Amino acid sequence: MISKTFFKETKELLREGRVRISIVIVLLLLGIAVWISAKQYENTNDRYAAAKTTERAVWDGQGAENPHSAAHFGTYAFKPKYPLSLVDQGVDKYAGTSIFLEAHNRNDAQFSAAADQTGLARFGDLTPDFILLFIIPLLIILLGYNSLTKEREMGTLALLKSQGISFWKMILGKWTALFMPILIITVVLFLIAGMVLSSLEDYGVFSWSALLVMCLIYIVYYAVFTNLVLIISALTQKSGVSLVISLSVWIIACLATPKMATNIANKQHPYPTAQEFAVDIAKDKEKGLDGHNHWSEESKKLEQDVLAEYGVDSLSQLPFNFDGYRMQKGEEHAAEVYFKHYKLLKDQYEKQTNVYQSLAVLSPYLPTRFMSMAVAHTDYGAHWDFSDSAENYRVAAQKFLNDHFAENSSYGDWEWQADADFWQELPPFEYEPRTLQSTLQTHQGNLGIMGGWLLLSFGGLFLTSKRF
Amino acid sequence: MFKSNFIYELKQLLRSNWLLLLSICLIFIFGFATYNGTEKVEEREAIIAFAKAETQENETVLIKTLDSLEQGLEVSLPSYRLPTDPIIVGKDFPQVAAMPAGDFAFLATGQSDLFSHYKKPVTYGGRMIEDFTEMTSPVQLLFGSFDLGFVIVFLLPLLIIALSYNVLSAEKESGTLRLLAAQPIGIRNWVLQKLLIRFFLLSVHVLVSLTVVLLVFGTNPFGNLGGLLSLYGLVIGYMLFWFALAFLVNLWVGSSAKNALAMLGLWIGFVLLVPSILNQMGTALYPMPSRTLMINDLRAMKADVVQRQDEILDGFLRDHPEYAINDTTQTRNFWHSYITSLNLLREEAKPIIDNYDRQLKNQQDWVNTYKWLSPSVTLQEALNKLAGNASSDYENYRKQVLLFSEEWRDHFSPFLYNNTAFAKADVANLPTFEYKKSEYRSLAPLVLLLIATGLFGFGFLVSSTSKSNIITI
Repeated sequence: MISKTFFKETKELLREGRVRISIVIVLLLLGIAVWISAKQYENTNDRYAAAKTTERAVWDGQGAENPHSAAHFGTYAFKPKYPLSLVDQGVDKYAGTSIFLEAHNRNDAQFSAAADQTGLARFGDLTPDFILLFIIPLLIILLGYNSLTKEREMGTLALLKSQGISFWKMILGKWTALFMPILIITVVLFLIAGMVLSSLEDYGVFSWSALLVMCLIYIVYYAVFTNLVLIISALTQKSGVSLVISLSVWIIACLATPKMATNIANKQHPYPTAQEFAVDIAKDKEKGLDGHNHWSEESKKLEQDVLAEYGVDSLSQLPFNFDGYRMQKGEEHAAEVYFKHYKLLKDQYEKQTNVYQSLAVLSPYLPTRFMSMAVAHTDYGAHWDFSDSAENYRVAAQKFLNDHFAENSSYGDWEWQADADFWQELPPFEYEPRTLQSTLQTHQGNLGIMGGWLLLSFGGLFLTSKRF
Repeated sequence: MFKSNFIYELKQLLRSNWLLLLSICLIFIFGFATYNGTEKVEEREAIIAFAKAETQENETVLIKTLDSLEQGLEVSLPSYRLPTDPIIVGKDFPQVAAMPAGDFAFLATGQSDLFSHYKKPVTYGGRMIEDFTEMTSPVQLLFGSFDLGFVIVFLLPLLIIALSYNVLSAEKESGTLRLLAAQPIGIRNWVLQKLLIRFFLLSVHVLVSLTVVLLVFGTNPFGNLGGLLSLYGLVIGYMLFWFALAFLVNLWVGSSAKNALAMLGLWIGFVLLVPSILNQMGTALYPMPSRTLMINDLRAMKADVVQRQDEILDGFLRDHPEYAINDTTQTRNFWHSYITSLNLLREEAKPIIDNYDRQLKNQQDWVNTYKWLSPSVTLQEALNKLAGNASSDYENYRKQVLLFSEEWRDHFSPFLYNNTAFAKADVANLPTFEYKKSEYRSLAPLVLLLIATGLFGFGFLVSSTSKSNIITI
C-alpha cells in the first residue's frame, strides 16, 4: 500500500506543471544564490589573507619604539570566514569583521557589512540559507497542500474507504512521495556544496562531518514541514483552505515569530547602548589603577607594596622598571573591568537566547536557523568566541610588551626604545573556531526542540490519520 | 447593478466568520506592531534625554572646577586632566549630538536598530573613523523587528490575496457564473466592481483600525496631518496595487488554486526576491571597497604621521602665522604636535572615507532608480523615510555629526595654538548641535496609484482584445 501510493503520487507530481515549474525555479534560484555566495566568499577570503599579512608587516616594521607606544599603536584581529558560511551566512553581515587591539581598551568588532549597505539589505539576501530556510518549506506546501484534500474533492476518498485500506499506510505513502523530491534536492545540494568547498584552496578547515550534520538538520526541518502540511491537508475540506492555512503557518513560523521574538527578547533583556556601556566601563576603570597615572592613590599604594615586598626604599632600586610594572598592573585591572562588563553583556545575550528558544515552540524555523548558523560558525556565539579570543590575545600581548619594557629599561626612562626587530617576537593572533562537537553540545537545547518538533508532528500526523 | 453588487458583497463579507476573525486579527497585529514601534521610540528618547542630562551635569562640574582653579583652589584632578587645558575640555566635557525620533518614527524600524542616535565628538581619543553602529545583537538585526512597516509591506498583501484570489473562479466552480451571464453587465466590469468594492471595504477597515490603534498607543496621529495623509496614501496605493494584480490574475488564470498559487508567486517575487536581487545587484555594481584593506591603508598613514609629528607641527605653524603672532610664550607641548598631526591624518584619510560615502550613495541612487520595480520596495523606502529612519536620514545625521566634530575641534584650536587657558567664561561659547531633519517629500503614494491604475487599464485593454470566452472555458 505504501509503495503503491508513493509511486502513484510521484507520477502525479511529475506530470503536473506547477511542480515542474516550481522545482525548476527553486533550483535556478539556488544556483544563482550559490554562485553569488561563492564569489563573495572567495573575495572576502582573499581580502582577509591580504589584510592579515599587511597588518602584521605594519606591526613588525614599526622600527625602534617604546613598547608602550607600540601598545597604543596597536594591531588588528580580523575575523576569518569559514567554508560553511557559503551555505549559511548567518549573522555575518551584521557582525563586525575586525577588532582593534590596543593598550587599555577592549574594542568591539567594527565594520559590519550591513552598515555599508542601503536599507534594502534588511529585506534579506538571495543566499543559499534563504532558499533552504524559506523557499523550500514553501515548495513543500506547494507540492503537498492538496495531497489529501484532493481525495475528498474528487470523491476518491469514498472509493478508498470502500476498499478498506489503512489510512495510516496511505498517508505514509503520500508522505514519502512528498518528502522524496525534497530529500533528493537537499542531498544533491549539500553534495554539490561539499564538492565545491573541498575543491577550494583552504580545504583544511572544511569538514564533511559538519556538512553532514547541517544536511541532517535541514532534513529534519523539512520532515517537520511535510508533517504539518499533511496534517493541515487531512483536517481541511477544501484545497484552497488547506493552502491558505499552510501558508499562514509558514508566515507565522518563518517571518512573524522571529520578528516577534526579537521584540520580546529586546524588551525583556535589553542591551545597553554603546555609549552607556562605555560610560559604565570608564567608571569602573577609574575606581582602580590607571597605568599612566602615578599620582593616584592606587598608584601610591602599589608603590608602597612593591617597595615593601622587595625591601628597598626607592623605585629606582627595584630590579625592574616600575613604570612597566605599573603599566602591566593597570592593564590587568582594565582587563578585569572589561571581563566583568562583557560578562554582563553576555548574560543578556544568553537570556535573549533563552527567549528565542522558548519561542521555538511556535516555530520550527527558529531552532533550525540557530543550529544551522552554529554549525556554519556564522552565529552570534561564534562571534562571541572570536571576540573573546581576540581579547585574550590582547591581554597576553599587553603583558608581553609591558614585561619587555619593565625588564629592559630603568625607572623613569620613558625615552627607552625596544629594538626594531623585537616586534617580530610577539606571536601572531591565531583563532581556532569551536569544534563541531562542542557546538553541538552547547546547542543541545535546540537539538532537543527540533527532535520534539519531529516527534510531535509525526504523532500529530498519526492521530489525524486515525480520524481521517 | 453596482448597488446590488455592493449590498451583496457587504452582506457576504459581514456574514463570513472567517473575515470577522481576520479583521480582529488585523487590529491585534496593528496594535502589537505599533506597540513595538512606540516602545522603541520611547527607549530612544530616554537614552538621548539621559545623555543630555549627563552632559548638563558635566557642564556644571566643569564650571565649578574652572571657578575653583581661577580662585586658586585645589581640585581633585591630576595635573594632566585639568580643564584649563582646552584639549582636555574638548575630550572630557563633550556635547551630545543627538538624532531625536520624528513624529512617525514608530512606523518603521528602518536602520534605527543598526545605528546610534547620539554621538559625543571629542578633540582626541575617538576613533579614526567614527563608528556609528549601535551595540545591537546581530540576531536581532538578522530577524528584524515586528513593526507596522512589516505588517503593511509583508502581511497586508496576503490578506488581500485571501480576499481576492477566487472572485471569478469561485463563481465558475460553483456554477453561478452562467447565471451571471444573463445579467446586463460585462464580465470584466463585474470582476472590477467586485474587487473595487472589496478594496473599498478593506481600505475603510484598515484605515479605521490603524487610526484607532494610533490613538490608543498614545501617539497623536493628527499632530502631523501631512504625515498621516501620506501614510494613508501609501497604504491605499499599495492595497490598490495588490487588488489590481488580483484583477489580472482573476481574468487570466483559471481555477481558484491556480489563482492562489499565482498570487503567492507574485507576492514572493515582489516582497522577497526583487528587493534582495536589487540589493545584491547594487552592491555588485557599486561594491564597497574592502574595510579590512582600508584599515591597512589608514594604519600605514598613521605610522607615517606619528613619525613626522614635529615636522608636521612646524609646517602647520608656517602656514598659520597668525598663531605665532598672537602667542607671546611660543611654548610647544605634546598636544601641539599631536593635535596637528591628528588633523593632518584626518585630512589625508578623508578621500578614503569619502569613497565609502560615495559608493553608498551610488547604491542608494541605484535603489531609487529601480525601486518601482517592486511596489513593496517603494513602500518600505517611503515608510522608512516617513519614519525618519531611512538610510538617507542616517547618512544625513552622520554628515551633520562629522561637521559638528570639525566645528568642535576647530573651536579649541585658537586656545591651543595661542596657548590660552580655557576659562569659565568660555563655557557659554561652546558649540552645540541641533539635528536638522531632511524634508519628507515622497512621490511614492502617487507612483503606487499610477502603477495600480496602469495594471487595471492594462487588464481591461488586453482582455477586451482577446477572443477567449471566460464563461465557458
